[in-house]
Amino acid sequence: MSKKIIAGEESKKIPFRKILLWTILIIVAVIQIFPLIWLLDFSVASSTEMFTTGLLIWPEKFRFDNYVNAFQNGHVGSYLVHSLVINVLAVVCVLLFSVMMAFACSRMHWKLSKAVLGMIMLGMMIPIHATLLPNYVIYDRLHLTDTLFTLLIPYVAFSLPQGLFLTVGFMSSIPKEIEEAAVIDGCGIFRIVFTIITPMLKSSLVTVSIMTFLNNWNEFMMASTYLSSPKWKTLPFSVLEFTGLYSSNYAVQFAVMTLSAAPMIIIYIILNKQITKGVAMGAVKG
Amino acid sequence: MKKKILSLLLAAAMVASLTACGGSADNANSDQTANVPAQEESAPTNSDAAGEPVTLKVFSNLPDRTSGQGLVEQTLFDAYMDENPNVTIEVEALDDEAYKTKFKAYASGSQMPDLVNVWGQPGFLDEVMEAGLLAELNPDDYADYNFLPGSLDGFSKDGRLYGLSRNTDVMCFYYNQKIFEDNGWEVPQTYEELLDLGEKVRAAGLQPVSMFGGDKWSLYIYIHDIEEQLDGSGIMAKTSNAIKNHDFSDPTFKQATELFVEAVDRGLFQNGFESNDGGTAKNLFTNGQAAMYYTGSWEMSMVTDQDIPDEIRENIRVFLMPVPEGGKGDATTITAWHGGGYAVTESAANKEEAIKLLNYMFRPEGWTKIAWENGVCMSAQNFGDFATGSETEVQKQLMQLVADATDLSGTPLGDLGSSEFKTICEDKSQELAAGKISADDYLRALEAVGQ
Repeated sequence: MSKKIIAGEESKKIPFRKILLWTILIIVAVIQIFPLIWLLDFSVASSTEMFTTGLLIWPEKFRFDNYVNAFQNGHVGSYLVHSLVINVLAVVCVLLFSVMMAFACSRMHWKLSKAVLGMIMLGMMIPIHATLLPNYVIYDRLHLTDTLFTLLIPYVAFSLPQGLFLTVGFMSSIPKEIEEAAVIDGCGIFRIVFTIITPMLKSSLVTVSIMTFLNNWNEFMMASTYLSSPKWKTLPFSVLEFTGLYSSNYAVQFAVMTLSAAPMIIIYIILNKQITKGVAMGAVKG
Repeated sequence: MKKKILSLLLAAAMVASLTACGGSADNANSDQTANVPAQEESAPTNSDAAGEPVTLKVFSNLPDRTSGQGLVEQTLFDAYMDENPNVTIEVEALDDEAYKTKFKAYASGSQMPDLVNVWGQPGFLDEVMEAGLLAELNPDDYADYNFLPGSLDGFSKDGRLYGLSRNTDVMCFYYNQKIFEDNGWEVPQTYEELLDLGEKVRAAGLQPVSMFGGDKWSLYIYIHDIEEQLDGSGIMAKTSNAIKNHDFSDPTFKQATELFVEAVDRGLFQNGFESNDGGTAKNLFTNGQAAMYYTGSWEMSMVTDQDIPDEIRENIRVFLMPVPEGGKGDATTITAWHGGGYAVTESAANKEEAIKLLNYMFRPEGWTKIAWENGVCMSAQNFGDFATGSETEVQKQLMQLVADATDLSGTPLGDLGSSEFKTICEDKSQELAAGKISADDYLRALEAVGQ
């Protein structure tokens, strides 16, 4: 009898805790997801409806033509391709460089390895704004303005310190014995880096890719300064196409923003597990 | 110890690299002026040979090419390309803030776009003209273009003309006539009545005046508007002198600033006005949530905007800033200026063709006619010539106001000084609006600029 009572109490207790946990989690989730719902909601309304009171609106008429407008007048299609090309290239470069540099600076023995590492880390302290004009002048002299490289170079440069920081931290958790074993078996240095070390860095590399991607996907300051023709314009320019001198077509801008947020959300959902793992592990072993 | 030396070295290296960057920008500036003659020589060969393909690069601050002024500009470009099949016009458009950043970048590079937007105000244009970035225009070309008297002053320096003015901007209150009539409110005749009206509107559950304080310049224009009404005439010269002499002790400035603070305190503007941007403020009014909207004549296109409910846009009317007690202004003192415009750059690849395009745009039947007939804005030329009688009520009212005006305030407060003055004036105006500083602090801060 008494056993049963205890069991009953326990089974009561656990649901209560669970309910509490779940409600908190649901509240947090709603707070996190709300901006996205809001974005989606406003992207099918009309500009005038937005300023009515209330958090969310039920549009009189669902304006899916906002999206059509975004593609037709906002060049979302071609700008999306540009954004993807530039960002994928940036991610590839950052990954390649950070793995090689992390190996060189943390595993190879040479005099200035730590100094070089520190020097690159210092890059984290330089604000983008301070580099805008000097970079423009350099590009102008090299006749590089309005090309793919004007964006690729700074995107890689600004993401590299962070990528390197995470990769170095992660790499130090890999036992040296693995490399020694590889060397004894006759492995060359590039094979050690790319076929043995890199696969073990998987979760950290996913984190680095996501961070690089997130940082550069919405970047507009550099893009607007270094690009002038539509040849390589990126997605944030689409929002601008609907900005008037004194007022803007907000509804279509919301549609464009929904479209530009979508790829990131999809990538995040796919790589979700790896990201949390990578951030946590890299942080501890810094 | 080793570590210390190392970190010192690193810090030194960083400082060195940063200063190196700054240095390179300076060098580029001086190089650029040296490059100019070389480009000048090559320019005529491009445009002399008729029929040879020419690509003109235009840098515009009108990103939206499908409505408003952006549409007028694009219409003119398209027409020019139709008439001159050898010319291709490439437009690069950014909104104001990004535009100004990029303008600086272009100015430090080797080649600027051919045709650029400029603001005919000392805060922007003085430095640009001094740096010799703009090509000189021939004033005789524009003798029969009917530019309004004084409209090109801001674009000239030492008697040389460097740009053409695009618009006449008049600051006014738009109001919803129907809301006024339904509630028995009347258009205020004095500033005191305006503040009383604001309280009545608030009591009726509406926002009185919609204001876009997020774009900080609207705030100092409001103060400038009161100064103009207090002073009656010559406020621009007075303000310019005050900035130059770091002396804002003239009672007009203090009184106007205090009247603005009083309006804020008595709730004349919508809640959170000091951070609302143009779009938000406009939508408050066009949704019928605000009874009035303080902005400029460029918003006259609200009346023809199909996105705005008919019962609201058909009832839009305007009135000017009412005169405060003791003010010398009357209905003929208006706060108006000629702000935005165009200029051809000195380093342009196709300078002559660009000037041709500029002249084409501003022939009287160009910008003026298209802008007026579409109810977009009032040009800086004699737009009255194109009056058809079928204009909207707002257009007629504004046209009358400009025709009757005996004193135009000219360039507003924040745009009369250096670019530093403008930034400080904007920030301090916002702090004043948010109640963070007093009227006295505000004027002291303006005096302190550049001292």
